[in-house]
Amino acid sequence: MIASCTLGEMMIAAMARTIGDGELVFHGFGSPLAQLAMHVAKRSQARRMVLIAGATYGVDPAPRFLTPTTNDWVMDCGASSSLDIEELFDLAAAGRMGRMFLSGLQIDRWGNCNVTTLGTPRTAMKLPGGGGGGNLSCDAQRVTLWTPAHRAERDAKGRRRFRLVESCDFITNLGHRDADGRPRQDYGHQGNGPEYLVTELGLFDFDAEGHMRLAALYPDTSLGDVQESTGFALRVVNCVETIAPPTRAEVKLIRLLDPLKIHEKEIRPADLVRRFDIVDTRKEPA
Amino acid sequence: MPSTSRPIYTETNKRRSLDELAAMVSNDAIVAVGGGLSSREPMALLRALLRKGLSGLTVVGSAHGIDIDLLCAGGALSRSCESYVGFEQDFGLAPNYRRALESGAVEVNDSCCYTLVQQLRAAIQGLPFMPIRSLRGTSFTALHPEYKRMTCPFTGEELLLVPALEPDVALIHAQYGDERGNLIIQGPPVADLLFARASRVVLATVEKIVSTEALRAMQGAVIPYFYVTALSGTPMGAHPTACYPFYAYDRRHTALYHAAARESAADFKTQYLDAFVYGVSSHEAYIESIGGDATRARLASWADGDDAWMRLYLDEAVA
Repeated sequence: MIASCTLGEMMIAAMARTIGDGELVFHGFGSPLAQLAMHVAKRSQARRMVLIAGATYGVDPAPRFLTPTTNDWVMDCGASSSLDIEELFDLAAAGRMGRMFLSGLQIDRWGNCNVTTLGTPRTAMKLPGGGGGGNLSCDAQRVTLWTPAHRAERDAKGRRRFRLVESCDFITNLGHRDADGRPRQDYGHQGNGPEYLVTELGLFDFDAEGHMRLAALYPDTSLGDVQESTGFALRVVNCVETIAPPTRAEVKLIRLLDPLKIHEKEIRPADLVRRFDIVDTRKEPA
Repeated sequence: MPSTSRPIYTETNKRRSLDELAAMVSNDAIVAVGGGLSSREPMALLRALLRKGLSGLTVVGSAHGIDIDLLCAGGALSRSCESYVGFEQDFGLAPNYRRALESGAVEVNDSCCYTLVQQLRAAIQGLPFMPIRSLRGTSFTALHPEYKRMTCPFTGEELLLVPALEPDVALIHAQYGDERGNLIIQGPPVADLLFARASRVVLATVEKIVSTEALRAMQGAVIPYFYVTALSGTPMGAHPTACYPFYAYDRRHTALYHAAARESAADFKTQYLDAFVYGVSSHEAYIESIGGDATRARLASWADGDDAWMRLYLDEAVA
């Protein structure tokens, strides 16, 4: 019997719970945690969700196993139909995409993400680029952000390079306010912006101003852990909750879907050893 | 200024050699590279371009990886308008791409998938631009001063206009084609159909050239012959990316590539470019250099079942 789960499985469960039943949900490439969250949600609380796979644009695929590259026929297995690139982005532009999963090498307090370039004005480090994130961050109705690299350890010189920053060097994906602090509502976009951020240290929501706010911690993280790894003044909800672990059935499902443990490539080595007890009274399906 | 009318291609036999295809690409061209990420990228044709010593290219596309990284290593680019260039969670960042863009040798001009789609659609329809609502508020509008804002005359809302993008040449690798240039793409076509319709010249490599009758009997997305300028029968032409059902992604070779690229530009030149691009005179010699029939059989083994398919992703670089 499964008695505990890993950090990856905790994050997948937390991300899966952000998905509503009946939503059309899309993930990008290189996003195994988001891919697994979507497959878990589709088999638990969101059975009517429309799952569209990044890169292949297959509708409701049932891949035999997760691959380390997303545009692979493995990932397209079992899809009931396939969209083409224009259809996928058109439906988002028309307001049909309920949720998109996005991430960044920098994520700021308004939920803007940078996956384009570090350093201004000169490119000090070229990041891979955001794919369609720039468009979908505006068009998708709701966005779930995630990063498994929130913790900012001190380097040899005692400095921290934050993942959660005051402001991004380049805004690839729009959050709740632009670089000048102008609220996204002014732009009249289809979508409402980031709803949650799931990190390896906690779960965040966004307040009425559109500012990120700590909402929940893991059983093994503290407010102090989050504070010292966050590059801006932390806002915190009144009553911080504890992130619930997945059910045994969900853990079993994740392990079945990802036998090659591709999602662990996203997790830092120090976090791979974290374990969380599963207190689950529900009967395990056969 | 309205652009001139677009060409169509009606030659009855468009079969050419790979080198003849490569000779049809000029320095400084705007190039749309087909396929995406680890799938169906026209790698044999790109290697032929590098052997020819092409330079000054601008590349446009959605999500790419080893194709653009290799062009960067070979010094073929001056500007990148891709939306993504990397090796996903498999090997991470693209080392040659990073070096080229961080040094300033290649201009950073990133785009976004839907922006690209709309720009291609404008070209396909012979229109000067297409509107989008998204992207306003991101940094892309500052990176691309050519995007313009307008107030919609019907609704009064603000829209972003993105100009038509007509690539000089599209490079596409498809599973099948006939000698007139009809192409069939099986599996996700990524942006290839849009590229074919929007580009002035379309150069294709295919796994197999078959009769038009055989082509018509097949499943897949079709690119009609009149868009296609020339094609070459190039088996394993997407290697090391996948071209199902013929072969899966060669993770072992990609690991070797990435390990060499991570070292330095000089190491990549001696360990990879000299061994697999400049040091081989033809695509046939390349196939031999990667292990010939044994590699072909290994990559075709995905069809033997899930366990065999999964094993291909456990492959690491051979020492």
